[in-house]
Amino acid sequence: MRELKRVVVLGANGTMGAGAAGLFAGSGLEVMMLARSLDKAHQGLGKVKEALRTDVLGKSVQCGSYETDLARSVAWADLIFEAVSEDMSVKLPFLEQIDRARSPGSIVGTVSSGLSIAKMCDGRSPDFRRHFLGMHLFNPPHVIVGTELIPGPDTDREVFQSLCTFSKKRLGRAVVECRDMPAFAGNRVGFKVLNECALLAEDHGVATIDYLIGRHTGRALAPLATIDLVGWDVHHAIVENVFDNTADEAHELYRMPAYMKQLMDEGHLGNKTPAEGGFYRRATDASGSRYVSVLDPKRKAYSDGPAPPLPKVGFVEQMKALHAVGRYREAMQLLLSAQGTEAELSRRVIVGYVSYALCRVGPSEVVDAPAAVDSIMGKGFNWAPPSALVDLWGREATLRAMDELGLRVPPVLEELAEGGRLCSEPIANMGRYFIGK
Amino acid sequence: MAVKKGSRPVYVLGGHQTDFSRNWNKEAKHIVAMMRETVLGALEQTRVEPGEIETAHVGNFAAELYCMQGHLGAFVLEIDPALRGVATSRHEAACASGSIAALAAAADIEAGRYDVALVLGVEQMKTVDSKRGGDFLGTAAWYDREAKGVEFPFPKLFGKLGDEYDRRFGLRDEHLARIAAVNYANAKLNPNAQTKNWFMSYDHACSSGPFNAHVGGRIKISDCSQVTDGAAALVLASAEFAAKWGERVGVRLDTVPRILGWGHRTAPIELASKFEESQGQPYVLPHTRRAIVDAFERAGLADAGGIHAIETHDCFTTSEYMAIDHFGLTAPGESWKAVEEGVIELGGKCPINPSGGLIGAGHPVGATGTRQLLDAWLQVTGRAGDYQVAGARRVATLNIGGSGTTSVVHVVGVT
Repeated sequence: MRELKRVVVLGANGTMGAGAAGLFAGSGLEVMMLARSLDKAHQGLGKVKEALRTDVLGKSVQCGSYETDLARSVAWADLIFEAVSEDMSVKLPFLEQIDRARSPGSIVGTVSSGLSIAKMCDGRSPDFRRHFLGMHLFNPPHVIVGTELIPGPDTDREVFQSLCTFSKKRLGRAVVECRDMPAFAGNRVGFKVLNECALLAEDHGVATIDYLIGRHTGRALAPLATIDLVGWDVHHAIVENVFDNTADEAHELYRMPAYMKQLMDEGHLGNKTPAEGGFYRRATDASGSRYVSVLDPKRKAYSDGPAPPLPKVGFVEQMKALHAVGRYREAMQLLLSAQGTEAELSRRVIVGYVSYALCRVGPSEVVDAPAAVDSIMGKGFNWAPPSALVDLWGREATLRAMDELGLRVPPVLEELAEGGRLCSEPIANMGRYFIGK
Repeated sequence: MAVKKGSRPVYVLGGHQTDFSRNWNKEAKHIVAMMRETVLGALEQTRVEPGEIETAHVGNFAAELYCMQGHLGAFVLEIDPALRGVATSRHEAACASGSIAALAAAADIEAGRYDVALVLGVEQMKTVDSKRGGDFLGTAAWYDREAKGVEFPFPKLFGKLGDEYDRRFGLRDEHLARIAAVNYANAKLNPNAQTKNWFMSYDHACSSGPFNAHVGGRIKISDCSQVTDGAAALVLASAEFAAKWGERVGVRLDTVPRILGWGHRTAPIELASKFEESQGQPYVLPHTRRAIVDAFERAGLADAGGIHAIETHDCFTTSEYMAIDHFGLTAPGESWKAVEEGVIELGGKCPINPSGGLIGAGHPVGATGTRQLLDAWLQVTGRAGDYQVAGARRVATLNIGGSGTTSVVHVVGVT
């Protein structure tokens, strides 16, 4: 592979394009930021400066427009980073232009959170196909280091490995290699859990689900608040893609709830539509004080004032108290042993997460090893890696819980020796995922 | 004062540190959680059983202020029931607290009081905003005279250290910028560094403006180490225990690193008194220089020539600039030569702060001295990963409390 010194970013005004441009510039590469207009590219550069907190990027970052600069800068670049909209019909014409303009041997990476990499290669030249791959960065890339790299059907192995090394060493990424399967590893596993929570919210209520599957279960943000953050439209695109193109043991859990579809059609997209809201909506009362109202999925309406406080559930509060003093193992074991319908619901989701995530490991699955799905869930989603949960519970207790809940037992768990450990990182590094409130 | 040395060697079996980029307040954790994770990590790494620990020394600067919690030694018992009854204590010497805890633990072993000692440096600082935290840090100086009512007193004090160099020898800010850039670049290689994903370049460190404001005289944000939360733990042992342990875990005793030498000196607490005392002398901070010479002497080294890397106290770029000539890498006042020649860079003749130091790796005050020793251990056992200094067999640390007030130096090595 040629040495990577010069990068052109397409879609450089978007969140991901600008974030990636910042990542490249911050790593000392020469960067050309391209957008529909020069103004838009400059807007992207503004975002880069804000993210990196510097105004001395100097000559290392240039801006341009597709019309004037695309052919020239694509020919100039060692790495062409395509970050236009997550829409096949928008991406394909750009990839065709890139194929025409690029110099042989340059690498083409497409940002996608789950579209088919193989489809993007259709009709492209052999040299393009050998140097093409999916690069799934998570937002914002200067903060979240988890990164999925996905080879296409003809990607040269040596090129791919070199880019993995480059991404790790030069860009500081935690790289996971994924097969070209819908939503890859992180989103496939993550959005299964998120959509399952959205489905459960219909019967149990939004606040209750976010309370029971809250940060104490090993995540930086509660699940429905996470969907509001990523946007309902993005959530919809991901779960629909998986639902339409896979048939695994959790197929029905990818069906987006009808109440979400209806509200989405009415413009409710989460945090990006503050007036309409998502699961939550920030509001101001007559006296000017702010509060958060909560969606009632059954009525498809929001609470008039702040939602009344939920009754505390004993095992949840005990888990938080244990996390606060660093007793993560005891806390997570309490999740398995607690009694009652709330505990059972929490277990269904969390043990279900572990089962589903580790079932994605195997020769014909998304990734080859538990460490890969652990890395992307930990460093991409900020969720406790599934293997870490297995190690905190112990193999036998995990198998018992899966059996009781009727969940599929992952082959990697069956193959694990009794008393053996699954997580490749020291358990001492896992505390960060367990939040004490 | 003649330099004396304990007769029993002190072995470093290993240890663990937290990721210094974490914010434990956001994780809603009590300081005991950090202590617990770190010690369990050290026990997991060394394969020492909790019941084998005989004494524990905790280094911490100001948990009473940041966390409303004193008596941290007692919290060691919360880590594992097998630690109940263990002799614990807590040590405070501002930013040198972690090294003082290590000195006390080593003294226990040298004296034959105990065979296995745990050292834990710990600080949780993100519990308060930066101004309030800056005021707390002011208690490491003479608060009433040097810090009371001063916003961010320490950048100003270490800015004056730069000014004193400038007055005596001349000092160019580009050399300080290079020191910042090297530390940040090294930190990118350290998975536990606070700034591993932050942007820094030499050009940025040279710039000033809203993104790189002056915070104390010539000191800009890029010259500063940053407040953070973190802890580091080490297990120290006597030869007797280390031999037994080595047999159990399959490590030859002659490959287990030892504390080869140490130096510990205290200077007058006020910065002005320090400068006054050192007028007409070759070194700006003569007591810091003395601590270095003491450590070399105890380690049987004539000078820094036998040292393969240094983990120094770069709370600000000026303190690293000071360390360069005080370690004897250059003549007094000529630290800039080592900066220009790349001596201090990874791959240089004597890399300084391969971990990223306080500027790059982060500075949870009471943990820093212990973290430096852990990094020295990682280097001399060849476990430092991407920031490994090739062939490092002896590594020195310099940990400073206050404005050059308490200086502790260690030499860790396998030969």
